[in-house]
Amino acid sequence: MVTEEKKKELLEKLRTAVIQYDEDTAKEAANEVLSEGMDPNDAIFNGLVSGMVEVGRMFEAQEYFVPELLMCADALYAGLDILKPHVKQLDLGVKGSVVIGTVEGDVHDIGKNIVKMMFDVAGFTVYDLGRDVPLDKFVQEQLRTDSDLVCLSAMMTTTMTGMKKVIDDLRTKNPNVKIMIGGAPVSQDVADKYGADGYAKDATNALKDAINMISSLKKMKDEAEAKKIAK
Amino acid sequence: MKTSLQKELLDAGATVVGIADLRGYLSGEISHLGRAVSIGVDRKLNENTVALLSKLQRRTVRFLKARGHRALAIPPDSDRKQGTFISKLYSLFNHKMAASSAGMGWVGKNGLLINPHHGPRLSLATVLTDARLAADVPIELSSCGSCTLCIEHCPSNAITGAAWSRQSPFVELVRLDVCRSHKTDKRKTEGKPNCGLCINICPYGRKNITENGSKASGPYLTAKTPRTQR
Repeated sequence: MVTEEKKKELLEKLRTAVIQYDEDTAKEAANEVLSEGMDPNDAIFNGLVSGMVEVGRMFEAQEYFVPELLMCADALYAGLDILKPHVKQLDLGVKGSVVIGTVEGDVHDIGKNIVKMMFDVAGFTVYDLGRDVPLDKFVQEQLRTDSDLVCLSAMMTTTMTGMKKVIDDLRTKNPNVKIMIGGAPVSQDVADKYGADGYAKDATNALKDAINMISSLKKMKDEAEAKKIAK
Repeated sequence: MKTSLQKELLDAGATVVGIADLRGYLSGEISHLGRAVSIGVDRKLNENTVALLSKLQRRTVRFLKARGHRALAIPPDSDRKQGTFISKLYSLFNHKMAASSAGMGWVGKNGLLINPHHGPRLSLATVLTDARLAADVPIELSSCGSCTLCIEHCPSNAITGAAWSRQSPFVELVRLDVCRSHKTDKRKTEGKPNCGLCINICPYGRKNITENGSKASGPYLTAKTPRTQR
């Protein structure tokens, strides 16, 4: 069994590797985690993700800019790719699936990819439609995969209006699905106006909100089924 | 700091190392990184230049980070892993712009960086940083002069003959679609897209040519002489 000290050291190594955008060290530490027999789940959340949370803070404080943020995300994935196959059951309380994409006319997908990364980390099944996605595609994909959540991203005010159409369509086809929107021009006001369930300021918030939304959705489903049985 | 970095890279196998001051030339996402360390490696046949360049880049990044600076490595054009987050930003940046700003050469008529000693035979990689390294003097003008060897030898007539300068960096030097279609044809007939005549023919840095550059000798060139005599 791995000692507390060694565990702490490796978690710190993973965390620093992400903050210092050092892919090599992230890989090295991830392999050490496996060879030491440490819990990969612990390594992901208290190592890699904890580093990414700090990176988010530094980005907000303008200590880090876009290139550093992206390199940190790459370092996180370098570690995650090694650890993930060894994770048996992610212990987040909820598991869900999500359809995600940048809406038609918009090719900016950096933000979308970072949000996707957080879902990946959390063990969600992610159906990534990519960028410049035709509006109908979101609805089709949601119906095909029966996902709990649809995430829409837009970088420009001109393409943002497409999200309203997707939301309306989704609501008529499947009233239970939860919808979350994000991107530079999006705000809580826009989310309310468009009828989205959530608005994500950044990737960390997106994940938190998503988990809350899915758990409330699961609860609704369970209650509905419980009622059926009671009858 | 600049000299120790340069020495470390040259010792590790770099052919040329220059520092460019790029403040004001970079797009918004990367504009906080005002200096570029431009690394050139002479492509010798059968040597893995790309592996060497990426090794040199890692060293540079380690060197700069150890001293508390930011570093963003832009890999060689031929070694761009797709699918990573950072790869989205690579297209914002041009190695030749950094190399010419670092005084390592000019952009020749063949659209390649020409170094006075190594000609168009350098493979380039760049590391952007916010470390205030002392910058080298940029090269402003092309030194191709009236030489038209690459234009005459281009099998697809893709080279326009326009001259590059730092004042007009966006002139069309090579009709890329024409050059590319030639390579596609080559792939069909020979299985490989290799062309590179405009590299081989350039008198700068060519090993088998006399100092004044007038005598075109060597077995390769004799075979091609009918074209030059046109």
